[in-house]
Amino acid sequence: MTNQKRESLHFIIPFFLVLLILAIVPFFASRFFQTFLTELFVWVLFAISFDLIFGYTALLSYGQALFFGLGSYTVTILMRKYGFNTELSLFLSIIIPILFAWFVGYFSVRLTGIHFVIITIIFAIIGNIIGETWTSFTGGSDGLTFSPHPFRLGLFQVDLVDIKGNYYFVLVIVAICFLFLRRMVQSPLGRIFISIRENEERARLIGYNVQRYKLIAFIIAGGLSGLAGGLYSLTLKYACASYLHWSVSGHAVVYTIVGGMGTLIGPALGAGIVMSLEHYLVDILMATDLVVGIVLVIMVLMAPKGLIGLLRLKFKRG
Amino acid sequence: MFKPDETILELKEVNKSFGGLLAVNQVNLSVGKGELRALIGPNGAGKTTLLNLINGTLPVSSGHIFFKGKEITNLSPHRISHIGIARTLQITSLFSGLTVYENIWTAVQSRKKFFNPFIKAGKWKDVEEKTESMLELTGLKDKAHLICSELSYGEQRILEMGIALSTDPSLLLLDEPTAGLNSQESLALVKKMRSMLSGQTIILVEHDMEVVMELADNISVLHYGSIIAEGPPEEIKENEEVKKVYLGT
Amino acid sequence: MLSQLTVAILNGIVWGLIMALIALGLNMIFGLLHIINMAHGALYMLGAVVAWYLIEYIGSFWIALIVAPLLVGFIGLVIERGLIRTIEDKPITTIICTFGIMLVIQHLVLIVFGGSPRRISPPIAYRLPIFDLQYPSIRIVIALISIAMMIGLWLFLRKTKYGLWMRAVVQDREMAVGLGIPVNKVYMWTFVLGSALAAFSGILAAPIVSVEFMMGREVLIMAFIIVIVGGMGNLEGSVLAAIMISLIQGVGALFVPPSIATVFALAFMIIVLLLRPQGLFGE
Repeated sequence: MTNQKRESLHFIIPFFLVLLILAIVPFFASRFFQTFLTELFVWVLFAISFDLIFGYTALLSYGQALFFGLGSYTVTILMRKYGFNTELSLFLSIIIPILFAWFVGYFSVRLTGIHFVIITIIFAIIGNIIGETWTSFTGGSDGLTFSPHPFRLGLFQVDLVDIKGNYYFVLVIVAICFLFLRRMVQSPLGRIFISIRENEERARLIGYNVQRYKLIAFIIAGGLSGLAGGLYSLTLKYACASYLHWSVSGHAVVYTIVGGMGTLIGPALGAGIVMSLEHYLVDILMATDLVVGIVLVIMVLMAPKGLIGLLRLKFKRG
Repeated sequence: MFKPDETILELKEVNKSFGGLLAVNQVNLSVGKGELRALIGPNGAGKTTLLNLINGTLPVSSGHIFFKGKEITNLSPHRISHIGIARTLQITSLFSGLTVYENIWTAVQSRKKFFNPFIKAGKWKDVEEKTESMLELTGLKDKAHLICSELSYGEQRILEMGIALSTDPSLLLLDEPTAGLNSQESLALVKKMRSMLSGQTIILVEHDMEVVMELADNISVLHYGSIIAEGPPEEIKENEEVKKVYLGT
Repeated sequence: MLSQLTVAILNGIVWGLIMALIALGLNMIFGLLHIINMAHGALYMLGAVVAWYLIEYIGSFWIALIVAPLLVGFIGLVIERGLIRTIEDKPITTIICTFGIMLVIQHLVLIVFGGSPRRISPPIAYRLPIFDLQYPSIRIVIALISIAMMIGLWLFLRKTKYGLWMRAVVQDREMAVGLGIPVNKVYMWTFVLGSALAAFSGILAAPIVSVEFMMGREVLIMAFIIVIVGGMGNLEGSVLAAIMISLIQGVGALFVPPSIATVFALAFMIIVLLLRPQGLFGE
């Protein structure tokens, strides 16, 4: 299908163009701005992993903070207390959240609609309370700091204490995850997720084990949320119990809604716009969440398909 | 009367109660290969409930269901789909935001064993070919790239049957395909069904008696959850009891 | 020990009654509109904050107790008519929308009221001697007011035209439309009533807890828990569950750290959700 090829080109050229621009940025931007962008990449990863379950599979999980926090603690605690190297810690920051997502998802996907939302919130709250209480292990709300070893893969090596090194490291990983998710949502497996979103009952009637595929989506999203948490800690050299609070998941919800759910590029865009908004507003207005809330309400009501939806509409009309 | 070579579906003393209410009462039913069996009865007679029991949407309270000689009682709907029973619903049930093509594709793809997350769905040529042929069969090829909610209501019913057929069923359960259609549209649909579904084994729940008489090989009449009569259309037409409870004469 | 236990039980009941009012508001909205109002905790907080200002300028707790819920009820009206109405049939969208409203209310309060906690001093200072301890009598009064409110609510639902309509809509929405009940208006007033109830509970809670912009966040979650354990749409169940859970938490906290008690309560919740999604007291 030439049509498909053309569509891929429409994606690949702008994608690598943006990557190229982002790759040049550190040569001009301040260290402060580089750190801001690095954090932004992390939240992009968190948002697109959330898009997989919400935008593609129609599961509104407020429990993603649990996996984000777990990933962040995996990296921090393994490196600080047990002297693990960066490669293995980061790898485990995917694996451990996956195991937890398996457990949480096993129960949660039995429920639908509002009940699903609530059970995921409850799991996250339990995680948060344990994190807050078990201070000898987690540092509670004060958190834990650490300093990461360089990341080594064969001859390849990145110094993560260096802001620029950290920037490129996170950028590359997030870009890879983006491509991975993009391929997944276009794959046969992705078709199943979408069919569940569009009509769960019909998907079941044509023979898909809906609960199993919901669980698969939940586990993949959990693993990537964990990776986002791991990268976040590598960037800040820090983790604390409030990363586990269910309201952290709200970030992903906001970015996804603002950008446009079920598009991957939308949540990435949403993260960029909302975080920049906060970044520049914080000087004039302490309570930036006020603006975030207003933007969220307006988008939900006026443009439920987000900015990407608006752009597509405009493009269609000419 | 239609004499099948072999029985494909058999229900033995199937009961279903909701709370204390018996919705399906001691139903015995056997459907032969290639038969089109119509299931009729007044509102609330338990027709849809019976379909729900057969395809596993609801668990039976007691009794046994056999399909091709194997017991399938209380299997989950997705497993029953793979065993070979497909189903349409009373209220059209499609993947509403997807195109006609994607709707059929998703159904054709369901027969695959492994869903590779690393390849593009478009790479599966066999699924593509089957999808094309299903579009041909349903006559929706020209509209393949419309979002399915843009189809007319009658076309949506056909698409839903197309989805069901795309899973290669040995038995098709149709729940009031003409519901919500005017008589002209009904007629067109029935014509389409004749060509599209020839040779299929079907259980058809239907209100429109004209449609039933036109299509059915045999008719089973349900009343308060029990089967009160069974036979070919001309026999049912003359059945006194059926006339009393159903035809209202 | 005996006096401590008595105080723990009393506190459990008082707090349970306040939680019951909050959960009732949440559950009424859920039972009728089938939406989860994530802004409910923020409305509770808003009630306490508005009351703080009223007490500051007028000086009377009792006037604030009446006026603040009316003001917050009006805000509820604006939210329902202005925002939620168009998406009432989409539960998931409503959750996201009310989550946004929650953020807006919380951070507006942060800007206007500031981030530091403030106190509303109890309007009745008398302390009741219980064994060797002194128990603030205002808590007993708060409990009595909560009970009176619940009785009032019960009478409203049973004896008035609106109450009858509300119950009819819960039973069967389409039938209610057929009977000529103005379903739309019933929705609106239910949301207003739920919001006012949240605010009312906020003011009742204010002399016990401190008033700050995040005070509704944990309360919202407790209210969820109560609604689920009691059964969604089951109002009597909510009251029972609220008192039960608060008692367990209050008395349990004498023996184990409060956070552990909460974790057990939450684990229990998950089990209820999975095994009895209709709630403990549902049929």
